[in-house]
Amino acid sequence: MTVTDRELAIRVEQLSKRFRIPLDRSSTLKHRLTHWRSASRYRILEALLDVSFEVPAGQFIGIIGHNGSGKSTLLKILARIYRPDAGRVAIEGKVSPFLELGVGFNPELTARENIFLSGAILGLGRGELHRLFDEIIGFAELEQFVDHKLKNFSSGMEVRLAFSLAIQAHAEILMMDEVLAVGDASFQQKCFDIFNRYKREGRTVVLVTHELSAVNKYCDRALLLDHGRLTGDGLAADVTAQYRRAIGLAADGSALAPEVERWGSRDVVITGARMLDERGMEDTNPLTGGFTRVELGYQIQNDGVADFICVVSLVRGDGLVLSEARLPVSQYAQVGTSQRGVGGTIRYDIPQVPLLDGAYSVNVELQGRRDGATYDHLNHAIRFRVIDKGGRHGMIEPGGVWSVAASELPVMSWPDRLTPTT
Amino acid sequence: MSAIADAQLDALAAAPGPQLNTFRHYRHLTLELAISQFKLRYTQSVLGYFWSLLKPAMIFAITYVIFVDLFDIKDGTQFYGIQLLLGIVVWTFFAECTASSMQAIASNAALIRKAYFPRSILVIAASMSSLFTFLINLTIVFVIAMALHQIDIGLQILAVIPLLLELYILALGIALFLSALFVQFHDVGHLWDVLMQLLFYGSGVMFSLTYVLQRLHLAEAIGQTKYIAPHYVWIVQLMACNPIMQTIEDLRHALLTPQAPWTELVVTGHMVAVHQLHPLDAPWLLPVPFLAVAVVLTVGALTFRARARSFAENL
Repeated sequence: MTVTDRELAIRVEQLSKRFRIPLDRSSTLKHRLTHWRSASRYRILEALLDVSFEVPAGQFIGIIGHNGSGKSTLLKILARIYRPDAGRVAIEGKVSPFLELGVGFNPELTARENIFLSGAILGLGRGELHRLFDEIIGFAELEQFVDHKLKNFSSGMEVRLAFSLAIQAHAEILMMDEVLAVGDASFQQKCFDIFNRYKREGRTVVLVTHELSAVNKYCDRALLLDHGRLTGDGLAADVTAQYRRAIGLAADGSALAPEVERWGSRDVVITGARMLDERGMEDTNPLTGGFTRVELGYQIQNDGVADFICVVSLVRGDGLVLSEARLPVSQYAQVGTSQRGVGGTIRYDIPQVPLLDGAYSVNVELQGRRDGATYDHLNHAIRFRVIDKGGRHGMIEPGGVWSVAASELPVMSWPDRLTPTT
Repeated sequence: MSAIADAQLDALAAAPGPQLNTFRHYRHLTLELAISQFKLRYTQSVLGYFWSLLKPAMIFAITYVIFVDLFDIKDGTQFYGIQLLLGIVVWTFFAECTASSMQAIASNAALIRKAYFPRSILVIAASMSSLFTFLINLTIVFVIAMALHQIDIGLQILAVIPLLLELYILALGIALFLSALFVQFHDVGHLWDVLMQLLFYGSGVMFSLTYVLQRLHLAEAIGQTKYIAPHYVWIVQLMACNPIMQTIEDLRHALLTPQAPWTELVVTGHMVAVHQLHPLDAPWLLPVPFLAVAVVLTVGALTFRARARSFAENL
């Protein structure tokens, strides 16, 4: 084995995998016996086609793509759960046998029994589990429930137990399939802390996820799969941007394509709208308290236009307008009179995003300053998701400041119970 | 799909350390799975583990009342009651072990789709949890036998170990075969139910091979040869090939009645001297039960190995 081989954690060469999906569901022995002559009717699904890549040891790599693009199939082949139909997979190092959290958990067993069972699947010895037991239970905050059956646990408790167990695995190569999809914000934060630890320890991590912002933040590199083909491989930021462009352009009207409502006289048109991070990279997942910039392109289409206003509104998912900012464009740009074809870029910077976790969008409008006529209006021109690392409840971060003093307030009284008005 | 031939999956790191750890890890995993399945088998029941004792005891009671009390059937051998109990305990193990291990792959679909480990571990673990119950039951039968009868404990008791091993290997071979097929064809479940009925009567649970031969001898002695159909001898020979019959007979001999013949003696006809019964006198049948066990294990293991790689996709 050469030195270069040792530095590679994963090498995949021309990997292909196809699934045969039977068109008639009944696959009983009788059916096999009575239909043995007629060729079985299958639909061939090419889950992976000629995929090749190499992962150096210690790299944090994300695999992204639409549903059914072959991400999970690829991960399962890497984890030796599926066999490839063609191609080669070479893996150097101990692979975590887990793809998801809580594999092997049995609801009829207690937390203690599940730790020993699931820990055995993870590759932890009995002695080791005895030694780590208190740490696992402590990290999961389940000290009082050690001998309770798992079926009586809330889903949050179960996830905490699964996670605190999973992070004990000694694998050099970790494969994770949508681990971020299961927990709440504080759980995601714990995941991210662990990801950071793995990065520091130089472990190789393969992460399959829909959370593009997580890929951007933690992955050194990303792979983009589209219908089983590897269509993107490079820096995480570039590949996620490529993916966003791809789904934005999706012509089939899939759920991912943003529904944009547009109206107006089009005397001035909005030529583009995007959201950027502080480095100027496209990023629709700003952090609470972080910087974000809304950038709009416009172009004057009609000579009669002289003076117009740009309106940028932040809107909650259900349409509630949270804020509205107005800019008399002509005061800042030398729009002058009737310059058909003249355009420009308008930027609206938010230095500290005051929103908490959730899905929001940006509405933009260009309107005449004198008559208030709508030239161009785009509802949900940008859809974005705010990520709050603090895992706080609510919708806004007002930036409030606490203080506690010794002075006394007169005692006030409230009614014990609200009486219903009849 | 000739492309499958090109498929290759390299082994994990070839360093000796991890390999050794892998073996220890899988042994540990097998044991953990077996223990938790043993626990799970009796959850949600008030009597819990006692059911594994109660069940053979109840079947024994029913069989004993019907065959010994009502029909006055005795197979002429010593301590028929305790021999019947031993037969039922062995049979219960075989029946439960194959039936529960058959589901080992199909009922662990989530685990197989999400984690990698040799799939046979699931079948071995399931069969081992049946084995735990069996060993406890066997000890209890022996204790009861000691309490009820004067039993000579000689060196023949050592034969119990290879006999139990043979029985376990047979059950495991069948379990591997059935569990691999059960993933795609649930039919084998129903088919096995029926086959089990046949095997029950063909395994000498309620009677010994000696008893069958005694009947044959009696019929001959009183000249009622019309009761000896040509296929009768053939059936008896077939029963002598049955490894379950052989292990039950030999376990009875080793544990309970040292004076009764080993199946080997019955089959080769030496028992003429012992009991003056009609001998089977077919020495070529002697290795057949052991060969049958070897063939069952080989076929089971090969079938399982061929199908195991696609379990995750077919479940």
